[in-house]
Amino acid sequence: MDAKQKKRAELRYHGSRYGTGLLFMLPWLIGFCSFVLVPVGWSLFMSFNKVQVSVGGFKYDYIGLENFRDAFLKDNEFPVQLITYFQQMLLMVPIIVLFALFISLMLNQRFPGRFLYRALFFLPVIFATGQVLSELFTQEVGEIPFIDQYNLEPLVAEYVGQQFAEPVMSVLGNAVLILWYSGVQILIFVAGFQTISPTIYEAVRIDGATPWDSFWKITLPATVPFISLNILYTIIDLFTFPLNPVIAHIRENMFKVDTGYGYASALAWIYFAFIFVLIAIVLGLFGRNMKKRRARS
Amino acid sequence: MRRRWSWFQFALVTSFTALAAFMSLPILFIVNHAFKPQNELFLFPPQFLVQNPTLRNFELLFLHASNATVPFTRYLFNSVLVAALALAGVILVSTMAAYALGKYRFHFKGFILSLITLSLMFAPETVGIPRYLIISGLGMNDTYFGHLLPLLASPVAVFLLIGFVSQIPDELLEAAKIDGASHLTIFSRIVIPLSAPAIATISILTFQTVWGDIETSTLFMQEETMRTLAFYVNSLLSGLQNSVAGQNMAAAAGLLMFLPNLIIFLIFQKRVLETMVHSGIK
Repeated sequence: MDAKQKKRAELRYHGSRYGTGLLFMLPWLIGFCSFVLVPVGWSLFMSFNKVQVSVGGFKYDYIGLENFRDAFLKDNEFPVQLITYFQQMLLMVPIIVLFALFISLMLNQRFPGRFLYRALFFLPVIFATGQVLSELFTQEVGEIPFIDQYNLEPLVAEYVGQQFAEPVMSVLGNAVLILWYSGVQILIFVAGFQTISPTIYEAVRIDGATPWDSFWKITLPATVPFISLNILYTIIDLFTFPLNPVIAHIRENMFKVDTGYGYASALAWIYFAFIFVLIAIVLGLFGRNMKKRRARS
Repeated sequence: MRRRWSWFQFALVTSFTALAAFMSLPILFIVNHAFKPQNELFLFPPQFLVQNPTLRNFELLFLHASNATVPFTRYLFNSVLVAALALAGVILVSTMAAYALGKYRFHFKGFILSLITLSLMFAPETVGIPRYLIISGLGMNDTYFGHLLPLLASPVAVFLLIGFVSQIPDELLEAAKIDGASHLTIFSRIVIPLSAPAIATISILTFQTVWGDIETSTLFMQEETMRTLAFYVNSLLSGLQNSVAGQNMAAAAGLLMFLPNLIIFLIFQKRVLETMVHSGIK
């Protein structure tokens, strides 16, 4: 090895410390900054302005927090939509994640033809495309017939109270949708279970643990990171859902002349703040849990 | 013991078959819907199965398309090209980013990670106008870059990949490094193959977004020849929403938009399952 090669090796070693990492990140980072970060920042700036389209571009008038105030005080649709959708979300996320966990646990068992079933459960993911989904929605095939048939609504209202009856009913009505929405989550769980070594199961079985014990002591703790991943994924998926009424309302306002893009941006940021709080709670809960585990091991 | 196990298997298979049948109802619906003649399309309550299948819906759709100024095949070509390039680009760019985020230490890493989580929450619809300003500022209106670039830096893909990449044992990478592998070799020979299940997942998700995306066509493309199939189908549907003849075309177009998704899914799904079986990790 001559001096030149040695020097190169040395450089490479130092480069690997952080240069290479950043280099690998670079293409993504550039794209991310220019098409996600800057637009999002721009819309924050716009939310404090009254934006009007004039000849040769946009005209900005700084109006402070007026857009945000209007959203709650003047707009008679937005707060209601936001709260209803939020309630619905709080019900749907746990249902979807638990359903996915249950199904993937079953799919992890040994039985003939399980590959076929794994494929089948992931299949609904491809319906999530707007076109197909809205077609199905207008045809109302996503609803379960027995809800109307047995007149469940008063029953539900009696048990959970009037103000929660509406979200509960719509969750029930979209039961099929929930099944369809758990495709990616099931896949993440199934892949997550593969990371648990079979030798651990063998060891605890030899030590006399029942399948029930090994689920609670091994499978579940090892799945915690995947559960939090799935909860986050579900929240995000539902919040950016194309047929979501809140987003529809924001988009409607975007092209209205009297309210304009500034107001629509303010609405989007309020919406964003709500999701942010929810996700921060989830991350906080699971982050602490994971830290505890890491400290123990 | 043995008999009870197989009884359990039997119950499992039965319940899964029932659930799976339930899940596949919408596919059945879409496929059948496309072949329904006019009188069956308007039946109430809607029927799942078609009684007298006909190809009339597709005929109508292609007749309508051939009357337009831009041929149907042009939209198709645009869509296929954009989808293929976007798929390749997203996979490369996000695996690289996820590899760096999962396995390297560098400045601002924590900051970038939290940025990704934050940006996931922002629905792309809400940043349409700033994006338009950037695209036209870069002079990318009416180019394929305008379709591609906004989709390339996908936070969702990186978010899903980081989890998988960080599961790759450090010992494996160290062993490769000791054997003289460069960063690029480690990336292409170890990281990519080992994260194949996640890559397959994001491929399916990316294809779906690109294929169904009408935002880039509506906002960044002013020339009709640069727009994609999804945009064409969407404008066709919204133009014909209330007419009776439109329902035929809508049903046929729904199937046409759905089929590529199904095909991509079937291709990559096989890969996902294969890699899960043979995955040598742990």
